Amino acid sequence: MLPARVDRSVLLSALRARRLDRTLTSALPGIDPHDEQAVGLTGLPALDARLGGGLPRGQLSEVVGPRSSGRTSLLLQIVATATTRGDLVAVVDALDMLDVASAAAAGVDLAKLLWIRGHVVTSPGLCRDLNQRAMEQAVKALGLVLQAGNFGLVVLDLGDAPTDAVRRLPFTTWLRLQRMVEGTQTICVLAGSESMSRSSAGLSIKLQPSLDVAAGAKSATDAAADLQVRRSARFVGQLLDGLDVDARVTRARVQASDTVALPFSTKVARHV
Amino acid sequence: MSESLFACLYQPPLPGAGMAGSEDPAPRTVVRGVGSVVRGVGSLDPTIPAVAASHTRNPLVAIAAEFSPRYEQHRADLVSVDVRGLSRLFGSPRAIGAEMRREAASRGVRVHTAIAPTRMAALVLAIARPGLTVVPPAGAADALASIPIGVLEQLHEDPQPGCGSATQVRLRADEAQAAIAALKRWGLKTLGELATLPSADLSARLGRGGRVWQAVARGEDTRPLVPMQPEERFEGRLELEWPIDAAEPLSFVLTRLLEPLSTRLERRDRGAAVLHVELGLVTRDVHACRLELPTPLRDVRALRTLALLDFESHPPAAAIDTVTIIIEPTPGRILQHALFARPHPTPEQLSTLLARLGALMGQDRIGAPALVDSYRPGAFTMAPFAIEQPPASSSNPPASNHQSPTAVLRRCRQPVPARVAMDAVHRPLRVTTDRRGFAGGAVLSCAGPWRTSGAWWEDDHRSQNLEGRSQNLKRLPDEKRREDGPWSRDEWDVALADGAVYRVFRDRVTDGWFIDGVID
Repeated sequence: MLPARVDRSVLLSALRARRLDRTLTSALPGIDPHDEQAVGLTGLPALDARLGGGLPRGQLSEVVGPRSSGRTSLLLQIVATATTRGDLVAVVDALDMLDVASAAAAGVDLAKLLWIRGHVVTSPGLCRDLNQRAMEQAVKALGLVLQAGNFGLVVLDLGDAPTDAVRRLPFTTWLRLQRMVEGTQTICVLAGSESMSRSSAGLSIKLQPSLDVAAGAKSATDAAADLQVRRSARFVGQLLDGLDVDARVTRARVQASDTVALPFSTKVARHV
Repeated sequence: MSESLFACLYQPPLPGAGMAGSEDPAPRTVVRGVGSVVRGVGSLDPTIPAVAASHTRNPLVAIAAEFSPRYEQHRADLVSVDVRGLSRLFGSPRAIGAEMRREAASRGVRVHTAIAPTRMAALVLAIARPGLTVVPPAGAADALASIPIGVLEQLHEDPQPGCGSATQVRLRADEAQAAIAALKRWGLKTLGELATLPSADLSARLGRGGRVWQAVARGEDTRPLVPMQPEERFEGRLELEWPIDAAEPLSFVLTRLLEPLSTRLERRDRGAAVLHVELGLVTRDVHACRLELPTPLRDVRALRTLALLDFESHPPAAAIDTVTIIIEPTPGRILQHALFARPHPTPEQLSTLLARLGALMGQDRIGAPALVDSYRPGAFTMAPFAIEQPPASSSNPPASNHQSPTAVLRRCRQPVPARVAMDAVHRPLRVTTDRRGFAGGAVLSCAGPWRTSGAWWEDDHRSQNLEGRSQNLKRLPDEKRREDGPWSRDEWDVALADGAVYRVFRDRVTDGWFIDGVID
C-alpha cells in the first residue's frame, strides 16, 4: 500500500517494478545482456555492447537511413546472425528488393528464411495506389507472421518505399504491431528511410552515410580513386567496406552501459 | 481362461509359377512432399477411389477375418489367427482347422493349415507340412523336432509399417540365411537338434539371433500376435437443406464434418496428409480442392482454416448444397523436442500461415530463397519453406562474425530506365531518370565497367544477322527476357550527388542504360 502522498518518481518506480501499464512509462526494466531469451545478438560485438546485449526480443525496433547508408548491410547481418543461432526468420520485403546473392554472401542461411515478396511497382512515376496497396499488404503479412509466432526475427523492409506512402499508414498500425510482438520471443525490426513507428519503437538505429561525397569535400577524381581502391575486389563483400557510416541509437528503452564505438561508425550518439 | 490356440494359413507357391499372392499386402500412404496448397477444380483426384479400392483383401486375410478379428499377416502368403475360444463354435481344434480349409477351398485357395498352442509352432508347421496339422497342448517342441532346419529360411516376415514396433522381434530373411548357414556348418539337420543346444553357448556364437532361432525351433513365441486392423476410410458427407454461398456458414459445416473425423484420426493415431473438399453445387457441378499438408495434421481449426482460405481464394461458381470431406491418413508423428532449442512454429501454425500469406500475396511470392547455378545478375529461385532442418543447439553459440558488415545490393527487380551522359574517356558523368524516387545527378565517383554476358547460345534469333537481332531485342528488358533470355551488359557502380551509390548498366544489345539497384 502506497502512502497517500508520494513522490512522482516513487510512483513511477512502483509502476515499473510491477509493470502495471507500459503506456505510463517508456522505459522497460533493465535487460540482462547475457540472457538469450531477452536479447538477440546483431552479430556486431561493438553494436551489441552498445545496445546492452543486442536487439530486444518482444519489441519493435527500427533500422532507418537513406540510400547507401548501410541499413541493408546491417539488416542482413542481423538476419545472418539470427539464422546462425537457429532462429527462423521472416523478411517481409515490401518492394521485392532483396538480392539473394547478397544475402547469401552476408552469411544468411537461406533455408531458414521465409521471404515474403511484395508486388513490384512497375509504372513509371510510382503510382500512389500501387504503392499504398503494397504497403498495406506488407503490413498485413507482417501481422500474420507475428500472429503465427515463434519466429526468432521478423523484418519489415520498407526501404526505398515512398515516404508519403509509409506516412499514410495509420499510426495505430505500429502500436498494434508493438502489442502483437510484446511478450513474445520475437525480434521485430522495421527498416526504412526514416523513422516510422515513433514512440512504438523500443529501439531505433539511425544510419547515415558520412562519406563526404555529397558535400563535395573530395574532388570527383579523388573519390573515384578511393572507390577504385576499395572496389578492387568488385562488389562482393568488400565494395563499401570502409565507407564511413554514422550510426545513432536514437531511442533505446533498454539500459546500456558500454560506450564502445561501432566498427563502422565515426559518431555515436545515444538518446534515451 | 482357456489356453492359447493359434492357427496358421500358408499358401504355398503354385508349381511353375512365382510366389502366389505376392501382391503388395498393404497399401501404404505416403506423405506428399512439403508443399503449398494445391488446388484443382473439377472431379476428385482419381487416386482417391484407387486408394479406397486398393483395400481388396488378400484371400488369406479374408479367410482369417471370417474366423477371428485377431489375425496378423506376416507375408502375402502367411497369416496367423488367434482361434482361442472358437471351440465353442466349431468344436475341437481339428474341426476348426477343417473348417478353415473348407473356407479356403470355397474361395479357390489351396492352403496349408496348422493349429498349435503357440503361434510360432503353427507358423513353422504350416510352412513345413501340407494339409492340416494339429498339435496337442504342450506338444509343440515334439511336433517340430523332426522338421528339417532349412524351413527357417522360409520363415522370414515382411516389415509391416504401423504394425508392431521396432522393439519387437521380426524374422528377417538376410539374418536367417546367415544363421542357418552357420547351423548347417555345425552339422545340425533338424529343429530338434537346434532346440537341444545350450542357449548360452548358442547366444555367445550367434548373438541374439541365435536365441531367436532356437526359440523358433522350440516352438516358443518371440513376440505376441499383433492384430491387424483394416484400413479405415476417413470420409464425411453432409447434404444441406438450404444451399449456402458464403464462407461463414460453410465454416460451421466443415467443423461439423471435421470434428468426428479428427476424433477418429486421433483414435487410430493418424494424421491428415491430404485433405479433399468436394463441394456439390446447385448447378450439379462439383467444385473440388485438394490440400496437401506439409505435415500430418488432425487439428480441426487448422484444417478448417485451410479449407476456408482456399474457398475464399477460389470461390465456387454457384451455391453449395453438399459438402464432402475425404482425408488421406498417414501415421502420426512422434516428435521429441529439444529442451534448450528455440521453439519453432508448429506444423499447424506454419501451414495456416503459409496458406494465409499465399492468399494475401500470391503463392509464388512466398518461400525460401535459393541460389541458382548461373552467372545471370539477380538470378534466384524460390523453394518451399519448411522447418524440417534441425535447429542449431543454443549450447553451441555461433561463431561471432567480427568482420565489418559487407555492403549489399538492393536490386530493382525490374531495372529502371535511365539516361547516362559519358565523358571523353567513356566514363559516366551524369545519371538521370524519369522514375520518381530516383533523383539522379552528377557522378562524383565511379568504378567499372564490368562486362558480363551469357545465355547467348539460347537466342532464338541466332540464325539472323547481328543487325536484325539487335532490332528485335531493342526494347525494354521484360520479365521473360530477364529470366530466360540472353544478356550482355557493362556494369558501373556510381556515387551520385544525392549521396547514394547505384549500380547502373548498359545493355549492349539495346544500347540502353538502366539502374540495376542501390548499394546499401
